[in-house]
Amino acid sequence: MIDKLYKTFVDATQNVFSLMLNLSEISDHPLESFECEDVLEVAIGFVGDLDGEVIYRFPISTSLNMVEIMSGMQFEQVDAFVTSAISEISNIISGNVLNALSSSDLQCNILTPVLLKPYENSEDKEYDLKTHTCINTSIGELCIEIRLNRIG
Amino acid sequence: MLKTKVGVKTKNNYKKGVNNMLWKDKYELGVPLIDTQHKELFRRVESFMQVLRAEDNWDEKIPQLNETLEFMKRYVVEHFRAEEEYQQSINYPGYEAHKEVHNGMVDYVKEVSKQYENSNYDEQLMQQFGGRLLAWLINHVAAEDQRIADYALKKGVNGND
Ligand SMILES: [Fe+2]
Repeated sequence: MIDKLYKTFVDATQNVFSLMLNLSEISDHPLESFECEDVLEVAIGFVGDLDGEVIYRFPISTSLNMVEIMSGMQFEQVDAFVTSAISEISNIISGNVLNALSSSDLQCNILTPVLLKPYENSEDKEYDLKTHTCINTSIGELCIEIRLNRIG
Repeated sequence: MLKTKVGVKTKNNYKKGVNNMLWKDKYELGVPLIDTQHKELFRRVESFMQVLRAEDNWDEKIPQLNETLEFMKRYVVEHFRAEEEYQQSINYPGYEAHKEVHNGMVDYVKEVSKQYENSNYDEQLMQQFGGRLLAWLINHVAAEDQRIADYALKKGVNGND
């Protein structure tokens, strides 16, 4: 289950990066923890058959590169435009995950993205499905932390 | 077709006369009616973003920004309606779900506009709106609208006639 879930998130990210950013070459590796100083963190709550949250961590440089690709404009710092665009992308990746889950009979919904203050959410609760992935792309890396419980 | 040119100073290197940098050929669905509208929609969003992201003082940008915003908002609604009519005309099975996605966006746009006016034209609100709109639009056109085209082409009803 956890391996399948991990792969679902990697595939969804790959799909969204390819469609939206024209980046088709990505690679992933599992991670114990993610150490990066300047990072944009977006939490997406999951409710339904899987319950908990997924945290997307985008280093600042990755975030700026993503927004530059989408807009064709230059961005020098993370402002409300950038955080909002990156939150929406996290939302879109999660939406892709929901579609994939529903075809394997797991019904979930997602909540509105919440921007976290760096490492705000470091409490160590127990989750049935807890894993990290680090995804590498030509414009930088990002990390996805999955913290979900199987309900029912 | 209306061409919109926005004569604002921007640090971003826009070539004069090229005002559809956002559009990419891969977004084309092969349904002429929708493709034309999508290109126009991207042009409007781009005009909006050029004003939004220009380095000028915010207060000075407000009149032009509001004008571009109103223009774009009208076009979003018009385009969604036309696209929905097209879906009905080809009996697209995902019509209801797609319409809900459109309605969700229209509601969001209305809500933000209201907040924006009530806040006396707060910059943060508009920047936030711009970022979400851009990502939403790219995904919607590159992924969700693509399914209408897949269906139309499969059925041989691509709206060319
Ligand atoms: Fe659409």
